[in-house]
Amino acid sequence: MFFTTKFKTKFKLTIITVLLFLGLAVFCGVRAMGAPQSSAAPASPAQETWRKEFDDVCGKTQDAMSFSPEELTDLIRRCDSLRPQIEKLDESRKKVYLGRLRMCRGLYAYVLDEKNKEKK
Amino acid sequence: MPTCSMKKTKRKNKGGLLPLVLAWGVLLLGNIVSAQIYLPKPAPEPSEYGKVILDNSKTGPGPVVFDHWLHRSMFTCRLCHVDVGFAMQAKATGITARTNREGFHCGACHDGKKVFEGKTIFAACSDTPNTNDQQCDRCHSAGKKGVRKYEYKKFTAKFPKGVYGVNWEAAEKSGVINPADFVEGLSVGKTKMQNRQDLSVVTAYSWVHPVTFSHEKHSIWNGCELCHPEIFPTAQKETTHFSMFSNIEGRYCGACHGKVAFPLNNCQGCHPNAPPWAP
Repeated sequence: MFFTTKFKTKFKLTIITVLLFLGLAVFCGVRAMGAPQSSAAPASPAQETWRKEFDDVCGKTQDAMSFSPEELTDLIRRCDSLRPQIEKLDESRKKVYLGRLRMCRGLYAYVLDEKNKEKK
Repeated sequence: MPTCSMKKTKRKNKGGLLPLVLAWGVLLLGNIVSAQIYLPKPAPEPSEYGKVILDNSKTGPGPVVFDHWLHRSMFTCRLCHVDVGFAMQAKATGITARTNREGFHCGACHDGKKVFEGKTIFAACSDTPNTNDQQCDRCHSAGKKGVRKYEYKKFTAKFPKGVYGVNWEAAEKSGVINPADFVEGLSVGKTKMQNRQDLSVVTAYSWVHPVTFSHEKHSIWNGCELCHPEIFPTAQKETTHFSMFSNIEGRYCGACHGKVAFPLNNCQGCHPNAPPWAP
């Protein structure tokens, strides 16, 4: 009898703890959903990594004409490897940054093409 | 006998002239029609030029009216069309109230926090849209009278004028306007671009004056990637690829000139040695 009562109390405590934990998790989740962070601001270190790479690659467009064909080829490669990372972002970021990446890659490819034409 | 035969010949010639005149008439008509099709359309009033109506949804506060003249006095074309992500083609941007709220498109600047020229820029698209909200009407102003804050004539009163409205190039050069090329959170800090050489573009017809193209003037407003390669995929100088016909159709120079940059009717704008009787 004593054993059964003790077991019941322990069981109740476990259920209460689990419920409290679940409640806390749901509360935190709702809070997080209710107050979305501005997408334009960096949200996590992983996102910052792609953004750093994006800024580094696409921050050189004004110097495109001064790059050698090898440097341009490398920049195009870096643009290509950025694409899948940007495709994983939320819809708004994806819209903006995929467009910018397309323009930036396009310019490097265009300059490379013109340089190759000049060589011939 | 010889007199008779001469009369017969004359009759034959008369009969042969009619189809010739008809053919000439058809050709002339064809030319007139094609000229009508391929002449640049007369530009609207400068205050209406470059006006864009953004109509995404049939519900809500109504279509947005965007005046290029207002924003170009403060920002470069590159800033909005590259960094902020506004496409150059209609309905290609995918702008929504949500993207604005998340700090993209209009919301890149219109976030209620950023300060420009000492004024806090009002926020675009609040979380609780209200169709009677006067704040919404600042942008969602199509068909609404007296809701716009700025008026073209008053706003551009001190700007240098050209053949057609404001001479934006002169305004920028003289420092009357200083278009910003950086927006916090989206733009990448860049070094100043080295001046690219100007081009004299030889035209396909001897009677058309060559085009003087200034890379410097264009790069101040557009950077490189706004024009290359999507608008100008080739660096060939001949007009084989970019004719006036394609410009009028909205390609090449016509992607901007004829829509937002000075109109194609202003011949001397590109052909500086064109005769004064040209429009």
